[in-house]
Amino acid sequence: MMQNAIHIDDLSFGHHSAEQRAIDQVSLNIAAGECVALLGPSGAGKTTLLTLLDGRLRDWQGRVSVLGTPFEPTRALPLAKRADTGFIFQEFALVERSTVMRNVLNGRLGRMPGWRALLGNVSKSDMDIARSTLSDCGIADLADRRVDSLSGGQRQRVAIARCLAQEPKLIFADEPVSNLDPSRAADILTLLTSAAQARGATTVFSSHQPELARRFADRIIGMRNGRIVFDVATRDLTDDATAALYDDTDPASGARLKVVS
Amino acid sequence: MRSRDLGGFWAGLFVAGVLLWSLITTDVELSRLLSAGPRIADFFGRMFPPDPTIMDEIWKGSAETLRIAILGTLGAVFFSVPLGILASETMVSAAVHRPVRTVLAFIRAIPLILVAMLMVGAVGLGPLPGIIAVAFHATGMLAKFYAEAIDGVSRAPIAALESAGAGPLLRLRYAIWPQMAPVVARDTIFRFELNLRESLILGIVGAGGIGFYIQTYVRSFQYDKAASVTIAVVIMVIAIEGINVALRRRFA
Ligand SMILES: Nc1ncnc2c1ncn2[C@@H]1O[C@H](COP(=O)(O)OP(=O)(O)OP(=O)(O)O)[C@@H](O)[C@H]1O
Ligand SMILES: [Mg+2]
Repeated sequence: MMQNAIHIDDLSFGHHSAEQRAIDQVSLNIAAGECVALLGPSGAGKTTLLTLLDGRLRDWQGRVSVLGTPFEPTRALPLAKRADTGFIFQEFALVERSTVMRNVLNGRLGRMPGWRALLGNVSKSDMDIARSTLSDCGIADLADRRVDSLSGGQRQRVAIARCLAQEPKLIFADEPVSNLDPSRAADILTLLTSAAQARGATTVFSSHQPELARRFADRIIGMRNGRIVFDVATRDLTDDATAALYDDTDPASGARLKVVS
Repeated sequence: MRSRDLGGFWAGLFVAGVLLWSLITTDVELSRLLSAGPRIADFFGRMFPPDPTIMDEIWKGSAETLRIAILGTLGAVFFSVPLGILASETMVSAAVHRPVRTVLAFIRAIPLILVAMLMVGAVGLGPLPGIIAVAFHATGMLAKFYAEAIDGVSRAPIAALESAGAGPLLRLRYAIWPQMAPVVARDTIFRFELNLRESLILGIVGAGGIGFYIQTYVRSFQYDKAASVTIAVVIMVIAIEGINVALRRRFA
């Protein structure tokens, strides 16, 4: 049995053009089946960390292994390994001119034989999975609509459906509710976390809303300036720790935050 | 004098030199220049009235020009799809797209009429060299447009498909193509219009189409017939322009 879905040891990474590291000596273990929230101010490194764990960054230092596969620091993750981790993007990242159904089927591309996928030949089982995730996400009736005709909340459901159709063992969600009103936001996180739980998938989501993190995550990690400043079980998170995470006057990091946000 | 004033002085001297050079070395006697006016008037006089009895030739020539433009555009699309992919920075590395772009720039730099003359030499008279020339010449522009269409799409959906495990061709098919399709349609129609317009004169070098008749009638001093063909060409250009304006409005 796999112990850790994610194992990170002394990980550091800097974007090409940036002088400061986006991830600075991070060590972290996340067990299979956990639901973890990543909190932190703008520029803390949340998106960078999730993208790296999704296998899409290279030239980092340290050790990373995801779902038992050790990553290579100099190479992006091979395509064949990608399908097991799903990613929900901050701005949906849907193909606007395609239908909802096509976007959800796109989530299955990594699971189809390449030639068949290229010909647009969708097997019955792929179709069934796409249909059932659409109805799990409450948008079965939108299947034939083009994405550019949808509302923000509907788009977010399509993005989640695409990720779930991929049948990932690990789900990364980058600010999945930042574009939604408070009650929609709670609906979407309920949908995401319960779907992940039903599938036994490990979930890591980033957010700017501590209340939502408390409500939906088992464990909360606070990041700032590329470092982990706290990593606690949800019930152990204090209001002081949350306040300090977003405190602009913190002498250690105040100057940099002003530049970023 | 400051250096900027000096620069203006040298530029003026250069322009004056170039003008003087053209005037002195071109073999134009003053007497010929003076008589050119009446000669041109006489030429136009002999074009009137245009001879309306050659409708058959005009239809035949126009239809052939249209076929050359259609098949030439088809050929250009055929070559521009792979070359456009190889010229885009989204799909291939700089080691591939830089040289491909350079080759396309060279192709664009060769005038169509020159390519047509070479092709007539290579494969003989008729519409075939015209089709080959149009396909070759148009590929230089169309492949560049296709590459720009690929590079112009939003990146996030491409990253999403990459994250799901889709390879480069699948990303092209499902993330890039749906975004670029309207641009490709617009660019292809635009290039077809140019092809049609440019292939009107290909016949002059023997590469088929209505231009052949202009050349024939002028050489045999049948200026009234040449006038009819010229009028037909002008009407076609205006018609193409009109269709193009209508299509642009649809794609705007
Ligand atoms: N493509 C990039 N090139 C250069 N620097 C980048 C790039 N992406 C992010 N950075 C920098 O890396 C740091 C971390 O950014 P990241 O996007 O990971 O933060 P974040 O926590 O996701 O912020 P937000 O809450 O605003 O989404 C920032 O200082 C940012 O400016
Ligand atoms: Mg972010």
